[in-house]
Amino acid sequence: MWKQILSKLPKKSSSKNHSSSSSSTSKSSDNGASKSGNSQTQNAPPVKPSADSGFKEGNLKGNGNGFTPYEALPGFKDVPNAEKQNLFVRKLSLCCVVFDFSDPTKNVKEKDIKRQTLLELVDYVASPNGKFSETVIQEVVRMVSVNIFRTLNPQPRENKVIDALDLEEEEPSMDPTWPHLQLVYEILLRLIASPETDTKLAKKYIDQSFVSRLLDLFDSEDPRERDCLKTVLHRIYGKFMVHRPFIRKSINNIFYRFVFETEKHNGIAEFLEILGSIINGFALPLKDEHKVFLVRALVPLHKPKSLQMYHQQLSYCITQFVEKDCKLADTVIRGLLKSWPVTNSSKEVMFLNELEEVLEATQPPEFQRCMVPLFRQVARCLNSLHFQVAERALFLWNNDHIENLIMQNRKVILPIIFPALERNTQKHWNQAVHSLTLNVQKIFNDIDAELFKDCLAKFREDESKEAEIGAKREATWKRLEEIGNQKQKSSL
Amino acid sequence: MAMVDEPLYPIAVLIDELKNDDIQLRLNSIRRLSTIARALGEERTRKELIPFLSENSDDDDEVLLAMAEELGVFIPFVGGIEFAHVLLPPLESLCTVEETCVREKAVESLCKIGSQMKENDLVESFVPLVKRLAGGEWFAARVSACGIFHVAYQGCTDVLKTELRATYSQLCKDDMPMVRRAAASNLGKFATTVESTFLIAEIMTMFDDLTKDDQDSVRLLAVEGCAALGKLLEPQDCVARILPVIVNFSQDKSWRVRYMVANQLYELCEAVGPDCTRTDLVPAYVRLLRDNEAEVRIAAAGKVTKFCRLLNPELAIQHILPCVKELSSDSSQHVRSALASVIMGMAPILGKDSTIEHLLPIFLSLLKDEFPDVRLNIISKLDQVNQVIGIDLLSQSLLPAIVELAEDRHWRVRLAIIEYVPLLASQLGIGFFDDKLGALCMQWLQDKVYSIREAAANNLKRLAEEFGPEWAMQHLVPQVLDMVNNPHYLHRMMVLRAISLMAPVMGSEITCSKFLPVVVEASKDRVPNIKFNVAKLLQSLIPIVDQSVVDKTIRQCLVDLSEDPDVDVRYFANQALNSIDGSTAAQS
Repeated sequence: MWKQILSKLPKKSSSKNHSSSSSSTSKSSDNGASKSGNSQTQNAPPVKPSADSGFKEGNLKGNGNGFTPYEALPGFKDVPNAEKQNLFVRKLSLCCVVFDFSDPTKNVKEKDIKRQTLLELVDYVASPNGKFSETVIQEVVRMVSVNIFRTLNPQPRENKVIDALDLEEEEPSMDPTWPHLQLVYEILLRLIASPETDTKLAKKYIDQSFVSRLLDLFDSEDPRERDCLKTVLHRIYGKFMVHRPFIRKSINNIFYRFVFETEKHNGIAEFLEILGSIINGFALPLKDEHKVFLVRALVPLHKPKSLQMYHQQLSYCITQFVEKDCKLADTVIRGLLKSWPVTNSSKEVMFLNELEEVLEATQPPEFQRCMVPLFRQVARCLNSLHFQVAERALFLWNNDHIENLIMQNRKVILPIIFPALERNTQKHWNQAVHSLTLNVQKIFNDIDAELFKDCLAKFREDESKEAEIGAKREATWKRLEEIGNQKQKSSL
Repeated sequence: MAMVDEPLYPIAVLIDELKNDDIQLRLNSIRRLSTIARALGEERTRKELIPFLSENSDDDDEVLLAMAEELGVFIPFVGGIEFAHVLLPPLESLCTVEETCVREKAVESLCKIGSQMKENDLVESFVPLVKRLAGGEWFAARVSACGIFHVAYQGCTDVLKTELRATYSQLCKDDMPMVRRAAASNLGKFATTVESTFLIAEIMTMFDDLTKDDQDSVRLLAVEGCAALGKLLEPQDCVARILPVIVNFSQDKSWRVRYMVANQLYELCEAVGPDCTRTDLVPAYVRLLRDNEAEVRIAAAGKVTKFCRLLNPELAIQHILPCVKELSSDSSQHVRSALASVIMGMAPILGKDSTIEHLLPIFLSLLKDEFPDVRLNIISKLDQVNQVIGIDLLSQSLLPAIVELAEDRHWRVRLAIIEYVPLLASQLGIGFFDDKLGALCMQWLQDKVYSIREAAANNLKRLAEEFGPEWAMQHLVPQVLDMVNNPHYLHRMMVLRAISLMAPVMGSEITCSKFLPVVVEASKDRVPNIKFNVAKLLQSLIPIVDQSVVDKTIRQCLVDLSEDPDVDVRYFANQALNSIDGSTAAQS
């Protein structure tokens, strides 16, 4: 009983001064939002109280009296048409208040009001009302900025917590704010996608600073958010031609930092997915800028440990390039060889998968340019003690196009891989690898028995000389050392 | 021996080896570059080897890394300092490769070489190299350039110096964040070489640009520069130019930047001097201690003691202690843990009375923290408090905390507390130890986890050292030897382990009278692992006991073991016998 009465009290007393509250919060936001450019106007309440204020509650408590009025506005159908836009803007400012979701028991009612309001806004933006006015666009972007541009929480510390040992399986962390965020993203997406949005007007608010902060959010740990961001950014790329070079350049910079400095970023797969469709749309002949992007950003992306997180998307981008311009094949293959994994078997299998896809699109001239180093690597994979790696390498012969390329160049390739094949048949532990190898040997033998015989003879000869060659190498170095010592003595 | 007569071309050997498919062989030959150089002689090294290497930068990164490293120490092989410049071209091309490790190593080697070069050589070849790299088309070159400016700058003419400063300021505004980050992280190093007149006029402008960068990754590195630059400036300039930046950074919108400030603030305080610390930096630090972001509070909490050392006790009590109280019940255990690891150090700063009044309640609450890390951190620094207020005030809460940690379900926690037992023993004294901790020490010897048992054995040794053989004889040895009849062979093994560790401390007499009979008895165990451990143990006892004992007891026991059916037992027994023979042979 008492609780009910108490909960009603503040609401009644404060329902009048609602409109003043949003402007009173605005003053405190100056240092929090000073750098954010014009898309987040001065009017915005603070996204998160800036570092100095130190309180961790929702903004509602920021005003001192412990409770600020927060009430639902009337629905759109309850007001005359002329009023609608005005109401829309008012609803937007209502949604500019950000709640603290770390405590689910706090502001439950207000959170629900905001959610309902956001749902109404989603519908409003989706229903055709004629062109969006500049004020509407500005206000939507402001509301979106206030809600989505926040500092991402740092990842929880590594297992210093002893109790976290049980949590080894890393679950993606879910943003508790999502019930609101999702709707906010939905509104942004609809605004951008809507045919009622005039790009020329919108680009004043969806400007470089906005895009740049949107890109920062891709590091979010919440896969749902990254998925929304992906769609939004893709739409922006499609609709705002002016931003295209900037978006490509910024993604490049994120890639460079990821590959060469931190190896930490959650959104690489999403970026690559967008790029995949962008590359798909590149006109032929490819611009140099795009080729540079392939060589300097995409190919090095094979290096990081976390390749698995985005390999599928990366591989798609790479094969898109090679399918568009088959002359790029040997550059790509050499790039792969350069960052070929040494000890990481699962990564090696991914490389072999991608290699097959690239080779599929490779023509004989490019193939010949890279086949020597390529098959040295393939030979190493054939001998891998990890049977999946060896098996995957042997599967290359199952692909008709690749088998053709190999057979056309067998005079070069067989001598390189013969020792590996022979060693497999002699002593590979895995039965499947063993029989697959025999099969590959048989293919060579059937096509060119003469060559096969020569290689076998050469292999036996080399094997018998192995110790001798090693001894000779040692002797040579020893002699070099002696010569050096003599020279030093004579010069003294 | 026919090979010796063949003419040998050192370069050809290298070229041949570098063609080899096996990366290990290529690496080996790069590692032996100096051998080739010596065989060639200085002149041909300059004219043939180095040019060859300049063109050979297409190998695997691992090989290039080795090459970059070798070239850094190659000056003697090309004919000394005056020829050092010939080493620059291959290193220059290594500065432009994609892989970060290779570039960094090449930069390091260039710095090594450049710092030895004569002034006119620097001007003639090093400075142009810096300029080429700084103007490089690809970011790799420009990033590398940032790391060698400080070497180039020192020895060159005024005109070139002006030019170098201008180039560096260009790099600070580079289009690519990668380059700006490199410029930011090297600014401090560069600034140390720049004359003080230009420091304010030019370097500080670059610094200001970097602190306003829109990428937080760049600002982050600029923070690091604050302390370095601050130390170069006159105190008043430092206050005027650096202080506002620090205060600003402590309110940066990126938590990463604030985190960096929290980590660095202590050094920055030294740079600006005590007065400004009091007026400007204390509020900034207090803000960081109350930051929204746990990571920032962790960093700030970890510096509490260092920071307080810069203040007088009144200020610390007035401003910092309230925050410390809050942090001791922070919602993040990492914050509490960071605090616990340093807070004991505040006791000497605050003095006895304030410690008892303000700190003791905090210590006690942290000792009861639900997370073992927090409790451990307090216990590990016990000595610092002991010196100020004595341990009595704490000991009542201490024991339950120790016992609980000793039985924690995570073995790493148990391990950590065992490591502190000798410290606790020395602080608490024999009396306290005998009553409470002795039993625990024995209990650990029978832990389920090997590492704990091993640590427990080691702990006995350290206790014997701390309290002396006589005490150990009374309180440790009988309990340990009792375990020799334990039905589980792993526990019997622990007895042997404990003996081997304690024997050197306990000395010959006790070893012969107490340990040896037990060991000999154990040699008749039914488990081979026990038996070969006996053999190993006997070998380790040889230097401790008299020769007569060796001849009388140890040898006989080993001879028996050397006829054991188990191959491993025989092996270790023979090994021990050999070492007896070896030592007698050496003596005679």
